[in-house]
Formats: sequence, C-alpha cells, structure tokens
Amino acid sequence: MTDRLIRSGRSPAPADKPLVVAEPVKGALRLAGMNDAADGLGLKPGMALADARAMYPDIAVADADPEADRRMLVAIADWCDRYTPLVGLDPPDGLLLDISGCAHLFGGEETLRRDITARLHAQGFQARAAVADTVGCAWAVARYGTCESLSAVIPGRAESASPESLTTAAGYGFRTRGPTPAPRNDTSSDRTIDALLPLPLAALRITPETVTALAQVGLKHIADVIDRPRAPLAARFGEAFVRRIDQAVGRTDEPIMPRLPVPDFVTERRFAEPIALEADVLGTIEHLGHELVRLMERRGEGARLIEAALFRTDGKVHRIAAGTGAPLRDAARIRALFVERLAAIGDECDPGFGYDVVRLGALATDRCDPVQTGLAGPDHAAELTHLVDRLGARFGLRRVTRIVPQDTHIPEYAVAAVAAAVSSKVYEVHTRYNRRNYEDPRRSVPSPLAGEGQGGGWRQTPNSQLPPTPALPRRKGVHARLQRATGGGSKPSLRLDFAYSPLDQDSLAPTRPIRLFEQPERIEAIASVPDGPPVQFTWRRVRYAVAHVEGPERIALDWWRDGQGHTLTRDYFRVESHEGMRVWLYREGAFNGPASTRWFLHGVFA
Amino acid sequence: MASAAHRGALSHLRQALATIDKDKGFSLAGEELLPLGLPAVDAALGGGLACGALHELAPAAPAQFGTAAGFALALAALRTAGGKGRTALFIQTDYAALEAGALYGPGLDCLGLPMERLIMLRVPRPVDALWACEEALKSRGVAIVIAELPEAGEAADFTATRRLTLAARAGGGIGILLRHRPLPIATAATTRWQVAAAPSTPDRFGGLGRTAFDLSLNRNRRGHGGRFIVCWDHHACAFLPQALSVGVAATADDGSIDPQRPLARAG
Repeated sequence: MTDRLIRSGRSPAPADKPLVVAEPVKGALRLAGMNDAADGLGLKPGMALADARAMYPDIAVADADPEADRRMLVAIADWCDRYTPLVGLDPPDGLLLDISGCAHLFGGEETLRRDITARLHAQGFQARAAVADTVGCAWAVARYGTCESLSAVIPGRAESASPESLTTAAGYGFRTRGPTPAPRNDTSSDRTIDALLPLPLAALRITPETVTALAQVGLKHIADVIDRPRAPLAARFGEAFVRRIDQAVGRTDEPIMPRLPVPDFVTERRFAEPIALEADVLGTIEHLGHELVRLMERRGEGARLIEAALFRTDGKVHRIAAGTGAPLRDAARIRALFVERLAAIGDECDPGFGYDVVRLGALATDRCDPVQTGLAGPDHAAELTHLVDRLGARFGLRRVTRIVPQDTHIPEYAVAAVAAAVSSKVYEVHTRYNRRNYEDPRRSVPSPLAGEGQGGGWRQTPNSQLPPTPALPRRKGVHARLQRATGGGSKPSLRLDFAYSPLDQDSLAPTRPIRLFEQPERIEAIASVPDGPPVQFTWRRVRYAVAHVEGPERIALDWWRDGQGHTLTRDYFRVESHEGMRVWLYREGAFNGPASTRWFLHGVFA
Repeated sequence: MASAAHRGALSHLRQALATIDKDKGFSLAGEELLPLGLPAVDAALGGGLACGALHELAPAAPAQFGTAAGFALALAALRTAGGKGRTALFIQTDYAALEAGALYGPGLDCLGLPMERLIMLRVPRPVDALWACEEALKSRGVAIVIAELPEAGEAADFTATRRLTLAARAGGGIGILLRHRPLPIATAATTRWQVAAAPSTPDRFGGLGRTAFDLSLNRNRRGHGGRFIVCWDHHACAFLPQALSVGVAATADDGSIDPQRPLARAG
C-alpha cells in the first residue's frame, strides 16, 4: 500500500520517513500497512491509529484504498506473465505463479526468484518470493520464513514469491506447481516439511480464530501439529484446518486458478534493447507467427483467437487479441490481422520507452487439415474468410455480420445479424476473455467480439425470440413490457435458426421491403374509407399520392407481450406512389375513430 | 442476345483488339462483363457492366434511396447467381443505416438475393467505408462490393474513386458506390447512374407490378449514356424491359445497334 503511494507520487511523506496506511475497522481507524521506516519504530498492523499517533505524533497517515491495491496487484500479475502464463491472484497481496517447466528458461529456480524480487524492487515494491513444491509451503515461507529460508527453500518444481506481506503490502508473487502434480520423491517432500516445521501456525492459511484456539491448547508451530493424529484435530478445529496441512505438505493437490486463459500455443521473443516502432512490433509478430504456425502444424491445428502481449519496459502490458473465422495457419495473415488491430486501437497502445518482451499465443485453436491448393485459380472461400477476419480486426467482429432468419412473424425480429466469423469455440473463449477484462477495469484491450455496432450479433435471451435491443417503437412502453415479458437477460446462448422458408411470393412485387427502419417513422396519412388503405401520405415533409396499394396484411404482436391484454396489431400496406416509390406503411391497432389512428412507415421497397 | 459461348468468343476478340489497339484510354484485356440481359443497356455498356471496375449510383430524388439500393442489390443478385458460392459485401456507415434504414433479410430474399450470399459491414465513418471497400475489392473473396455513403458522400472524391477503381481492377470484383445524393464532381468511376423509381405496370387485379427502375446513365467511359426504364423480375432474377416504357427503351429490339448480333451469327 505504501509502495503504491510512493510510486504514484501522492505519498504524504518522503520514502524514508514513517508512513502508515489507516483503514476503518469496526468504527476505529486501525493501521493496515506501513513502510519500513514505520515498521522500524515498532508499529504493527492492526494497531489503533490513535495509539500510533500517541507514540509518534509526526508519522504521516494515508487512507487505505483496497480497490487501488487490487488494481495494483492485477497490474503486477500482468507483469509476472513474462515468467509463466499461469499466474493466479491471491488477494489481498499475493500472487501464485506456476513455474513448472519455466524455471530453466531463466537459469534455474533460484535465479528466477532473485530476478523477480530484484525487478519488483527496482519498480519500488517490497517483495518476498519463495519457491516450493506446494502452494501452501510457498505461501508459508514467503510470508513467515526467514531470509535464509527464503533462498534455501525447496528445490521444488514450484515456487511462490511473496513481497513483504507482514509490513508493507504490495505485490506478491508466489509460485507453485501446476494442476498436475509431478511425481514427488521423498527428498523434496521431506524438504517441504522441513521448511514448514519452524513456522507459526498462521502460515497454514487458517483463520485467526483457529490460530487463537490452537494457541490456547499450546500449539503454536507447524511442528506441533504436523505429526498429531488427524481425527481429533479435525473434530476440534475443523476439516478446513486438516486440509490446509495436507495442502501445505503436498498430500492434497491444490491447483492454481490462472487469471488469464492459458494459450494452447505460445511463442515469445525477448529483446535486450526495447523496441518501439510499429514496424518492428509487426515484424516480430510475423516472425513469432512463423514459429506459432510450426507449432500448430505439428498438432494439425489452426488458430481461432490469437493474442499478442506486448510487455512494456515499465511494467505495463498491452494485450491485443484478434479472432478469425476459420482456423488460421499463415504467418502473413496473422501479421495482416495485427496491422488492422493496431490501426484500430491507435494511440491507446502507447509504446512509451518500448517493449522488451513480445509474446504471441493462440488462445483458441481448431483442427485444421492441410488443403490441397488448386491450380485452377484463387480460392474464393479462403480469401473471403481472411477478408472477414481483417475487417473484423479493424472494426470489431460484431460489425461484420451475416443475416440469419429467426422463427417469428414479427417483422423486426424476423432476422438477426450474427457475426460472420462465428463459431462456438471462439465464443466460449471470448466469454472467459471478457470476464477477465471486467475483472480489471484499467485494461484497455477491446475484445474482438465487443464491437459496438447496432444490430449486433449475439442473442442474449435463450427463451425468447427477442434480440437484446428490441426495435419496437418506444411509445406505449412496449419496449419495457417486452423486456419484462422475457425476464431480462440471462446466460448468453446462441441461436442459429435456419428453419426458415422464404415468404410466399405470389405477387409481382416483392412482399417485404429491402430496407427496414429501426424505429418505424411516424407519417400523416389519409384513407378514403376509415379503415381502408391510404390514398395520400406525408413522409419527411414530402406529400405523396398513392397510385397502387396492396394490403392490408395484418400482423399481430404476440398477445402475451402486452401487459394489459390488448392485442397490438398492425395493418401493413404495400404502397406505390405516383412517382413509383414503393414503401411499407402500417396503421397501428384496430380502427376506433379517426383521432386515434396512427400511421407509420416501416420500410422501403426497391 | 448472344449465348454464353458467344460471349466468350466476343471477350476473346476484345482481348485481341485491346492488345493491338494499345493507345486506347482503358484496357479491355481479360475483362469480365456482367450482362444485364437488356440489349439497349448492354449495348451502351459495351456488352455489360464491367467487372473489375467501379460504378456510382445515386437516387434521383432524395427519398428514393430504397430504389437506388434496390438496383445495386439487383446487380448483386445477378452477379452472385450461378451457385458458385460467390458472396456480396454491403458496407454501410452507421449514419446511412439510421437515415435510410438497415438492409432487411426477408426483403432481400424476396428481391432474389438470398441472405446467405450477403455479408454486411457497419462502419462508423465514410472514410472507413471507403477503406473497407478498397480492401474488399482487392481481395478476390467477394464478387461485388456495395459501399453506401450518407448524403452526397463527399469523402468519395476523385482520388478516392481512382483508388477504388484500381483496387477493383486488381481484384476483379464489381465496386458500387451508393450515394444518397448525386455529387456533381469529377469521378474516376467507369459509369455513373442516377436511379429513380418508375411507376410499375400494375397486375390484372390492380396490385403492384414488378419493381421498375428509371435509370439514367449519366457518365460512361465505354460508350454513350442514355435513359432506360427497366423492371426487375425477382422470381427469374433478371432484368426485363418495361412493357409500357418511353421511346428510349424501345430501341432495344432494333437490332441495328446491338453489336452482339453479327458475332452471334458468325459463331
């Protein structure tokens, strides 16, 4: 907390002066965190601010901001992505990194641990890191271990890094093994236990009440409980306590929840000298694309969602994702997609002092069999897919749509626009992707499916035919009623309903307009007979005389959609003016007096 | 009207002619044409609407953007017919969609352009529409690209239309620039049309007749201009001459100006 304040330059005191962060707890201001200088004075977290002020009247105090702390932790987690794709959050102040299989890239676990703490320190964070076989052990050692034990920990396949959790909270790394436990030999298991034995019981991640209760019966260290019979412990202190012990020593597996979806294939490049030019970034992406393509080729797969992560030297990470309509295995096309993405996000992606790591990952892949290229000519289908991808990368995949018929007779709902590059797998990944972006409001990566065009593709209401933004006229509160009737939004589900038969065309003229207004436009119309067809109408301040009419075609809205039990009907007329302009008009409701008759123009014919 | 084989022979002869006659302002070599099936119109166009070229459409009256779009979509239906999986792309700015209405799938079906043959793109600004149009024309994935610009579409000036023309020539697709109002400035497009609605001939029961267009070919790099009244048969997916039309269209049946006739006999 204090690190964050000092880094942001809003600290009320210089870095070497005592600074504490206070938060209200049960009506009293208590210390939540402090810097080294304050720690040296003997102040402890949880102490009342009044007491601290009584002891040292000149300490600087800042308000706690848990939300900012959380954002900072997420930012550090982003940064830690450079070490391993499996980074989990351990709020309020820890990070878990799965480094199995990654450590050798950085010269071993110990070198990696030193590297991560040194880099975090250089960025202004007090951080402690520990490597261990289990999440529990790494957590315990990072927070409660001595300095020697930190570096002497386990030669485990796992690691945890934790910044100075006791005093100044900041970012924390922590790493452990991944979801699949590697076969453990006795030595490493023994060393895990050895490292845990001298630590206090609080290091087992148990509630303060349990710690107090254990202390009352004289159990203070992990060594005191680790060999005791488990049944009485479980009976007295709860199942959770025993589970924590098991997790710490590795008897129970404990997976890390990665914060971001882990790419199926990843390639990356590190630079001694940061790169800042767009051409360099794109060149790197193409080069990485070649490697990615080789990896995917071996498994017979192609990318559906590609993400480029650009790690800026100052710790910020730009993530740019691009979706594709069909499995993609062509480096030049990958590059072309990112040309569009970079052009679309423009200045949001500020290289600053440059990027030192560029990573390209395929977040979603599909089976992609090699296709025999024909000699006959260009492959139109492949060209089209690529074009849709590029347009989608530039404008958002939701803006490139295909029209899909829907099973309803209400004109404005009869079709839905569905993203042209649609596929269930990409959608599934996007849901995860968006959730992650919500988690961090600071993140500026636009999801490829998150275009803001109207008539957007995904149906949000599984139980109804209604698109998310009904285009009914808002008068009479129809909109609100429709919303109520369908029960609002729920789990997203895609409905691709192709059970559609073209309208019966026994007329010489088409029966449906080629253009439909989202809001039917109010017009003035005069009918010769009160409930007959119009003979004259005024639209957009121009008066038209009607030459020919077909109609009425009565279309009733679903009866259950009107709260008052009235059926909403529309009498549609296909009308041709004297000039030959053809439009689709309707009279709203049944005729009950000239005053209440309202006419609307809903669409235009060719 | 010449059959497909004859048209192929004609195209071949044109190619030969173009290689001999190099100092012509435009090249006809290897060019594909989209015949509208109306002798008068096709004669004016030199055999049909040039593929790999840009064409401009604008409604003659402000409120008739439906008619202009209808003609463009009829051309798209004609171009994508034949079941070879060719696709049309319709680019629309957000404002144009608000002003003139979004494309309506069932209506397109009725017009003869099945929904699955169309991809729609909404873009925020006219320059985006031009960019997307150029990219789409360059790629061989789409057979016809229609870009709709609101108002007069000032963004599509001479330079922009020149770019689109070059892109279309590279990709071989038809580019159609659809404005909401005619823009009286120089254009690099191959043809420029004004489309007005024409009164249809009602059927026996007094209902609406076939969709009729009053086409004014105001600019044509390949030949003379003209005014044609045609109607669209959405069942057969073909243009027909308007039954009761003004004199101009009547010349269609006069064989003297149809360059395809003698060739047809010779082939």
